[in-house]
Amino acid sequence: MGILGLAVGVVIGLKVPIILPQAYAQYLSVAALAALDSVLGGIRAAVEDHFDNTIFISGFFSNALLAAGLAFIGERLGMDLYLAAVVAFGVRIFQNLAILRRHLLKK
Amino acid sequence: MKKPIYFSIAAVSLVFGLLIAFQFRTTSSIAGGVPVDRFQELTIEKKQVELDNAHLEQEAADLAAKIEEAKKGRSQASEVLESELSKIRMYAGLTPLSGPGVEVIMENPPDKNGGASFYSIRDEDILKVINDLRGAGAEAMSINGQRILATSEIRLAGNHINVNLVRLSPPYHILAIGNPGTLKSSLEIKGGFVEYLSANGITVAVQQREKIEVPAYNGSLKFDYAKAAQRG
Repeated sequence: MGILGLAVGVVIGLKVPIILPQAYAQYLSVAALAALDSVLGGIRAAVEDHFDNTIFISGFFSNALLAAGLAFIGERLGMDLYLAAVVAFGVRIFQNLAILRRHLLKK
Repeated sequence: MKKPIYFSIAAVSLVFGLLIAFQFRTTSSIAGGVPVDRFQELTIEKKQVELDNAHLEQEAADLAAKIEEAKKGRSQASEVLESELSKIRMYAGLTPLSGPGVEVIMENPPDKNGGASFYSIRDEDILKVINDLRGAGAEAMSINGQRILATSEIRLAGNHINVNLVRLSPPYHILAIGNPGTLKSSLEIKGGFVEYLSANGITVAVQQREKIEVPAYNGSLKFDYAKAAQRG
């Protein structure tokens, strides 16, 4: 189901004739990372059977917005703040993936 | 319970896919795949250069205005110099002049016997006429096309009269620019020089002219001995 959504998203994204300005590329990349983290987190929660829809959706949006906001503020301050988001999400993605892997293998 | 899970995950995955696709297209749309950092650096640099450019353009405009002003000043100065120069040339007799004046024609008495006449025009006669004309305010004079300068000589050399080292022969046409009435009356005054010459058989015709053209001095100007003295 997740892969299907991903495929549909990619197709739509490639077909929509909008090219975002390059200035937004950084925010978009961090937001994409947040989305990936949310997806993995959601799947992990689903596997662990404590999935909450509101938490999942709100988490997704707040993570994405916070990551983009960090990148924005970092740029204004002349600091690579988006690196914080990248590291945090990266660590969580690997953690989630590891837990997911264990759950799947134990089944 | 399972349905909303899948739905949410699918929705978030969709958003994720969208973001990735956008990102992919944005990155690949940059020619040569220039990294974002480099792009931002270059953008900042470009802004800086544009700012510098605006400054420089303003400076160039300022300088052009200054050049324009300087040119104007120079052209004014050269105009003043030019007018001064033309005045001095006029004064020195290097430019042809025209204006009202008189034409004096002096001729030796006709040769009746085929020999030398009793009285012929001498250099002193011409000098006196010139002197009279000067005294009456003549501003420019010429004899037979020879402009009278401050350095011009009028002297007898054999059978001829030399003016500006050029031999002249009668009849002598003397042109003088000035007040025609004053010039004429100064020559034809009762008991004056013209009367004296006429009594000696020389024909002297003084005619007032509305417009007389006095030619320029066309000889060479040189100062072998005189040098400008330091003033002050």
